[in-house]
Amino acid sequence: MKKQAEEILSLLPSGIYADVRVVEKTGEHIATKDGVVEALEQSDTKGYGVRILKDGGWGFAASNDFSKKGHEETVKRAFEIAESTAKHTTVKTVLAPQEAQKGEYKTPIGEDPFAVSIDEKIKLLLAADKAQRVSPKINISQAHYSGHREKKVFASTEGAMIDQEIIWCGAGVEATAIDGTELQNRSYPNSHGGQFATLGFEMVRGMDLVGNAPRVGEEAVALLSADTCPTGEMDLILDGNQLGLQIHESAGHPTELDRALGYEASYAGTSFMTPDTLGKMVYGSKIVNITHDATLPGGLATFGWDDEGVAAQRVFLIKEGKFLDYLTSRETVEELRRTNPDYKHGSNGTMRASSWAKIPLIRMTNVNLEPGDAGSLEDLISDTKDGIFMSTNRSWSIDDKRLNFQFGTEIAWEIKNGKKGKILKNPAYSGMTPKFWNSCDAICSKSEWNIWGTPNCGKGQPSQVMYTGHGASPARFRKVDILGVK
Amino acid sequence: MIYGEQKLKETADKVLGMTKAGQAEVILTVTDHALTRFANSQIHQNVASNDLGISVRVIVDKRIGVAGTNSFDDESLKSTVAKAEEIAKHQKADPNFVSLPAPKNFKKIEVEVTQATPEERARAVSIIIEKVKKHKGVLASGAYDSSITEIAVCNSLGVWAYHKAAAHELMTILLGPTSNGFASVLKKEPTLIDADLVADQALKKVLDGANPQDLEPGEYEVILEPQAVNEMMSFLAWLGPNARVYHEKASFFSGKLGQEVLGKNITLTDEPRDLRGFPMPFDFEGYPKEKLVIVDSGKLENLCYDSYYAGKHEAENTGHALPAPNTYGPIPLHLKLEPGTKTQEELVKDVKRGLLVTRLWYVRFLNPRSMTITGMTRDGTFLIENGKIVKPVRNLRFNQSIPEALNNVLGVGKELETLSSFETELGTNRMPALHIKNWTFTSGTDF
Repeated sequence: MKKQAEEILSLLPSGIYADVRVVEKTGEHIATKDGVVEALEQSDTKGYGVRILKDGGWGFAASNDFSKKGHEETVKRAFEIAESTAKHTTVKTVLAPQEAQKGEYKTPIGEDPFAVSIDEKIKLLLAADKAQRVSPKINISQAHYSGHREKKVFASTEGAMIDQEIIWCGAGVEATAIDGTELQNRSYPNSHGGQFATLGFEMVRGMDLVGNAPRVGEEAVALLSADTCPTGEMDLILDGNQLGLQIHESAGHPTELDRALGYEASYAGTSFMTPDTLGKMVYGSKIVNITHDATLPGGLATFGWDDEGVAAQRVFLIKEGKFLDYLTSRETVEELRRTNPDYKHGSNGTMRASSWAKIPLIRMTNVNLEPGDAGSLEDLISDTKDGIFMSTNRSWSIDDKRLNFQFGTEIAWEIKNGKKGKILKNPAYSGMTPKFWNSCDAICSKSEWNIWGTPNCGKGQPSQVMYTGHGASPARFRKVDILGVK
Repeated sequence: MIYGEQKLKETADKVLGMTKAGQAEVILTVTDHALTRFANSQIHQNVASNDLGISVRVIVDKRIGVAGTNSFDDESLKSTVAKAEEIAKHQKADPNFVSLPAPKNFKKIEVEVTQATPEERARAVSIIIEKVKKHKGVLASGAYDSSITEIAVCNSLGVWAYHKAAAHELMTILLGPTSNGFASVLKKEPTLIDADLVADQALKKVLDGANPQDLEPGEYEVILEPQAVNEMMSFLAWLGPNARVYHEKASFFSGKLGQEVLGKNITLTDEPRDLRGFPMPFDFEGYPKEKLVIVDSGKLENLCYDSYYAGKHEAENTGHALPAPNTYGPIPLHLKLEPGTKTQEELVKDVKRGLLVTRLWYVRFLNPRSMTITGMTRDGTFLIENGKIVKPVRNLRFNQSIPEALNNVLGVGKELETLSSFETELGTNRMPALHIKNWTFTSGTDF
């Protein structure tokens, strides 16, 4: 792959910036439903993308044709596109200085997920599928597994040469109970496919899917006859798996600098966290500390370098409630300096592409709510007189500036006099982002902290799906608008 | 980059010749994609890519394995077939699998395909940017997406199906100091892209939408423009007529075949051969697609099936397979809501007090069983009083059951717009504007 990258780079004229990514990706997906293996698939893809910056305009072309002719045509296409862009560009793109990096990175794993036999994976999933069926009311039982291996070489005309292998995997179960027109789901360890991490198969074994499946089934059935979550202003404790998505939508996306500068306006939207608010906005309460950390062991978005050759970093986006920094790239930090000349940082290394065929964009790495000092979840519930505890995402929606949000969860529990009470069905909550984070008055300690993997974050045109991570421990928010969904 | 039918047939036959599985299926795709993206009134992203795709499904004694790659060289083909067979060997038998489809004649749809050049894309984008520059404080963003796709499906029972298509979409969102404006156009040829029209429509929205006012949430009559209707109907397509979800009793429609489920003024069809949309003559199993009446004057008439669910439920295959392995179920990709008799302006005149909604945004199921969705309005929301648009309003969140909304339709627009179907490039829906009563808005936002 390194040789291919060098060959492609050698076709480029001097005096321009260009980079090449050569990528080979393998995916494995297994899904069972109702005791049958519904999907069992392995797919491979390989190709390369060439990014050229000429006269301040970008061109990008990608191909799976590794012949000399293919290389030449792809470079020519990228070059022509860059020339076309430059002709129509008034503000020229400038890249922040970056020392050329050379090195290798491989996800540290215990057990290679691709070395574990298909038989064993099927056996595990079918057992977890079966164990959910604790009642005739379980209409649908499902179990999922995904594995991912991505080998990529990044090389640039500045002299960078980086070789990486990223491996992640994950699994989960989901039980659906139906009684007449009532339908309820429960998932473990998380919804939308389960839990994912840059770890080996040891993580999947450690989940104990089979051991947790009966509880998941029982909770789904219990929800069928549970009371609907009450509607009104109440104190809310969010479980870590729901808080992970709350961080993703209301802290991760609005701090993407390309969004804040308007570059995602035509699709995902913009951000209420505009450059004039940087360093000034009180985003949350004093206990709210949010980091982006691509160095976090096991995080789903942990890597050695991003896709423009910038090393993985840990950066405070929000510190003691104050908005301090964005997720950035080499291009966007230079643009930010035009309005914020005091901004001194280079890229903090968040550019990633979902495939060799796509251009890198600013993507969340592991964006985390740092742990607090409220002890265990049990301690936090004991400290809450009346409220609602919600777990496991079911529905998510937020406006295009990332202000008005509404989330639904699979399950909730009433909290009465510091005790976890009866379960409640169809819970949801809504709010406005800064008001919500300013109402955060307790965050559980490190012992409750987990990095939740979100493998399905969509962004960009053409659309790219990227994997991100979100460290969180349960936290409490005061006087939140809670509703029971019809 | 066009491979052509003959070359793809040779590749598919070669792959089928490599397997001894009882049944086998090969899906081949060839894509040439380009996109020019603009923001802050200049081009900032300009990309192009070529790719191939091959997916092999083998069935050995009802044990199914699927493998895929993006190379057509002999070594890759052999390795992919071997991988699919190896996977099948480790599979458990699926008792619900009956057979891949047998060949069935269908009429081809011949389409001329052209890729928009970088200069063509840049010219169209420049028209929007130049028009917008005349309006102080307004910035243009958007994308010109141009793609050519060839798809071929072949199976060991003799199915061979080939189709090629092109799609060119120019969309823009204009950002004013206090408002946004959206417009888009989707065409089969680059020469049909009217950038002036897109610019003018979006400019009207952003200028009319300036200085929006707060509006108390609650139940309102709404005029949903076709784009907003399409965003709602794409969710109905997923969990409504889908045979998998229906038979799992997980759909609002479950158990209601033959019953009235929507208002009498709602007729919903799937029309994959309608040349006014983006046609697709067969599904991802190579089974011919034909018009299917899903809801006729409010009554649920038919469900969507592929070979698997048709076999499982002893129903007729309707040609709605997605690529294997498909865990979503069979989904219609060419929905058409039967048009009414009124123009959008006439629909607005019928509203005593309500809202004109340009688009819905970030729509998600809140309760899948009742098909209740949530989302925001976006890029142009206006208050209507006594049949006239009186002022722009800030965006609102809605929580709304789709069947309830389609039982509350007071008027259907007579013009159908061709729009992308559910977040895919696999087909297009054709949707009118709708006048709906009692649409539930629950909260507002700051813009």
